[in-house]
Amino acid sequence: MSLNILAVDDSRTMRDMIRLALVPVGFTVHLADDGLHGLEVLDGLEPDVIITDINMPRMDGFGFIDAVRDQDDHRATPILVLTTESSAELKMRARNAGATGWIVKPFDPAKLVKALQMVAG
Amino acid sequence: MSDANDPMAEIRASFFIECEELMEAMQDGLTTLDEGDDDPETINVVFRAVHSIKGGAGAFGLEALVRFAHRYETALDDVRSNKFTPDADAMRLFFSCADHLSDLIRVCRDDDAIPDDRSAELLAQLDTLLGGAAEEEEEVSADDFEPMGVSISLDLDGLGDLPPLDFDVDDAAPMDETPCYHIRFKPEQEMFETGNEPQMLLRNLAALGEATIECDLRDLPPLEALAAETSYLSWDITLIADVDEAEIREIFEFVDGLCELSVRRAGSDTDAPAVTAPIETSSDGFADLPEPPATVPDDPDVPVAAAPAPVAAALAPSAPSAAPAPEEKTARKPAPAKAAGAAANGPKSVVRVDLERIERLVNLVGELVINQAMLSQSLEQAGLSPHSDAMNGLEEFQRLTRDIQDSVMMIRAQPVKSLFQRMSRIVRESSAGVGKNVRLVTVGEGTEVDKTVIERLADPLTHMIRNAVDHGLESTEDRRAAGKSAEGIVTLSAAHRSGRVIIEVSDDGAGINRKRVLEIATNKGLVPADASLTDSDIDNLLFAPGFSTASEVSDLSGRGVGMDVVKTAIQSLGGRITITSEAGKGTKFSISLPLTLAVLDGMVVNVADETLVVPLNVVVETLSLGAADVEMLRPGKYIVRVRGEFVPLFDLGVELGYREARDSYVGAIVLLIAYEDGARAALIIDGIQDQRQVVIKGLDDSFFRAPGIAAATILGDGQIALILDPADIIAEASGASRTEALSA
Amino acid sequence: MNEPLVLQSKLDLPAADPLATALKERLGTDVTVDAGAVASIGALGLQVLISAAASLKATGHRMTIINASDRLIEQMSQMGFTPESIAEGTS
Repeated sequence: MSLNILAVDDSRTMRDMIRLALVPVGFTVHLADDGLHGLEVLDGLEPDVIITDINMPRMDGFGFIDAVRDQDDHRATPILVLTTESSAELKMRARNAGATGWIVKPFDPAKLVKALQMVAG
Repeated sequence: MSDANDPMAEIRASFFIECEELMEAMQDGLTTLDEGDDDPETINVVFRAVHSIKGGAGAFGLEALVRFAHRYETALDDVRSNKFTPDADAMRLFFSCADHLSDLIRVCRDDDAIPDDRSAELLAQLDTLLGGAAEEEEEVSADDFEPMGVSISLDLDGLGDLPPLDFDVDDAAPMDETPCYHIRFKPEQEMFETGNEPQMLLRNLAALGEATIECDLRDLPPLEALAAETSYLSWDITLIADVDEAEIREIFEFVDGLCELSVRRAGSDTDAPAVTAPIETSSDGFADLPEPPATVPDDPDVPVAAAPAPVAAALAPSAPSAAPAPEEKTARKPAPAKAAGAAANGPKSVVRVDLERIERLVNLVGELVINQAMLSQSLEQAGLSPHSDAMNGLEEFQRLTRDIQDSVMMIRAQPVKSLFQRMSRIVRESSAGVGKNVRLVTVGEGTEVDKTVIERLADPLTHMIRNAVDHGLESTEDRRAAGKSAEGIVTLSAAHRSGRVIIEVSDDGAGINRKRVLEIATNKGLVPADASLTDSDIDNLLFAPGFSTASEVSDLSGRGVGMDVVKTAIQSLGGRITITSEAGKGTKFSISLPLTLAVLDGMVVNVADETLVVPLNVVVETLSLGAADVEMLRPGKYIVRVRGEFVPLFDLGVELGYREARDSYVGAIVLLIAYEDGARAALIIDGIQDQRQVVIKGLDDSFFRAPGIAAATILGDGQIALILDPADIIAEASGASRTEALSA
Repeated sequence: MNEPLVLQSKLDLPAADPLATALKERLGTDVTVDAGAVASIGALGLQVLISAAASLKATGHRMTIINASDRLIEQMSQMGFTPESIAEGTS
């Protein structure tokens, strides 16, 4: 089924990749440049899944996840962390911040779609 | 560059552009860091840049780039987390790594050969520096960085205490029947706080095969006692599916540690190891349940493998540069807040445009200028009053045309920063090559110059910088002996000055060894042995073709290319290069360039029935000669006195070969020309038509390149006029006599 | 008979507590739950419904779930239930 996605990444290339992977399969994709921007975009949005990068200017992924989880509406919204790291420590930090899971970059489009569908509708 | 209909190629191209921006930010950050800045955000910026490059590179399967960036990133991360404080050597290595990263980006972009040796060398140095995080490197690269790799890796060792999988279970099982698994799953409280939902997990599990799902309600209290956010349920699943255990566990990857999970293959005697404390298998737990468990068959609708195929095709029809619909929805969000955020901290809003479109626009504006000039001319010829509406309107039209032209030129303008950053690399490499300690100081990085000019400046500047490091600066010992700091300084500056761009390369070295230069020039027959030359003349010998010799060519500035090539390159940009040097203090090269290559403010003059254009920015004033103003220096050589100063006089008609010398210069019109280096000259012309903007039509190769002629233009009446390069004329005409006259 | 209790579209973590509160207020009566608006139900929403149903049944009342969509029924079945079994307070 079609999902409503919010993707937060400071890399234009990565945002393009995400868009390219998801729009053709019918997902609606909202994009933001960093955590703060992500919160602005999230306001009033009901994404099925949020994807976020970790290393970003202004507000990083951990801060963003924290802030999202602080909103009652989004306590259970799945949040996938987009990361090039696969270290256990990073995953634990993401999880402690409230992340649902992680996607290790690089991803191919089908894998990204699948990962999203694993955690939402 | 790429097929416009291929979105991947489009993104790939866009990635490399982003890389350039990231490299720039990174260079900035490293430089700031090197200057002793300890703002944590500085190292963060550098780190993020490498990180983003790595991420993008991974997406395009640029493995060499990913591997290198990864290790570099790890090193930077150590700095970021204060595990490592870089000293001067470490900073040098970081700069080298940045340079190499930049190289890798380029070879990846151009599909050139990957310099693996250099990567290995630098990686080894990083390992030495940081005490080698080698094992981590192995693991990560094998795991994550296969091109277009696995998105959800089965990260079994990622979260701690999971013992290795017992693969013997699979081997022992009979292969001719579909395996049957018993899975027990009990979510813990924390699982819900991470946004994980048991229903999704159960659904995903059921999608693997035929699942029988039973919910265990034993722990569920009555409603009065229920804490709504506490998890009371657990599930027992029987799954008949042609999968191995790893695939089942993969479904629970994200909740590893957030639930109790046991997976047991039916028919095997031993339970597979459980993730956490195994739960006793309850055969009696559901005895009181009246209804049969719901069975979920293979559900084709469960979207496990969504079709990736239409990705490329579906995107293809949309124009690559058009904003995609989803982003428009994003933009619908409260705009003021977003705009404020962007203004405060975010990057400038930027549109990427194909350079070809800009070129086309530049050309069209050029045509517009010509047309406007033609229109002016015909209106004047029609005898309209200067105060008529038409003429007033024309004035406004001219102003607008000029504004449009300026704006269009601004599109092509770029800060010289990227060029300067490339030069800092040249300094690092060349100083290391000759064992000198050199610092590059840059000034005016924000100065904007036409993109083409910037591109074409790279080679000459590289050569000049190498020269400065190689020949300009003394050896460390000599510097110490001369009482200078051991660190030599090369300064690279850019500034706008009276409608031109001035770029200077200076060093604080020993200055030009004029005795040696003269010796070489004499030996090579460039000047007669008995020539008496001023210091400035000798300095200028460096630009003489054939001056550069094999004997003094080091492996750095060398390849037999002399400063004459630099001079030619600068001239082809409509620029000039001058040199000044002071013994013991250093040498400075000044390049003066037009702001743009396309238009020129010119004075249209007549010489012997020819129409010529003199660049307005060199014309200081126009004079009419009186008898007392001119003095003959020697036959055929005149000087003119202008406000107490003597200026050499040249007759343009003679210098260009249009006509014979005049008998008398009394009453002749002269243009007083001045140069950046302060030199002046007076040019005799026959008449002045007007001043106007002209569009430069290059003479490049298609035309002959006559001495003293820089380019051509088309005037309002359609006539072609040549654009003069007065400096060239004077140099051709007079040689040393010019400076003689000047110093008279 | 009481007004049906109209369920929200998402019965997930944030919805569980309000749902439990609403159902606690209806203990001691027959409860009709209108699931027509429910797009998704999670484990926490599910356990509230089951617990409430069991509590009602223990006091001689009953829960009826109406208007469950196919999608909702599918989700329930993925957790081992049907609307009927939930209303019975059993799996």
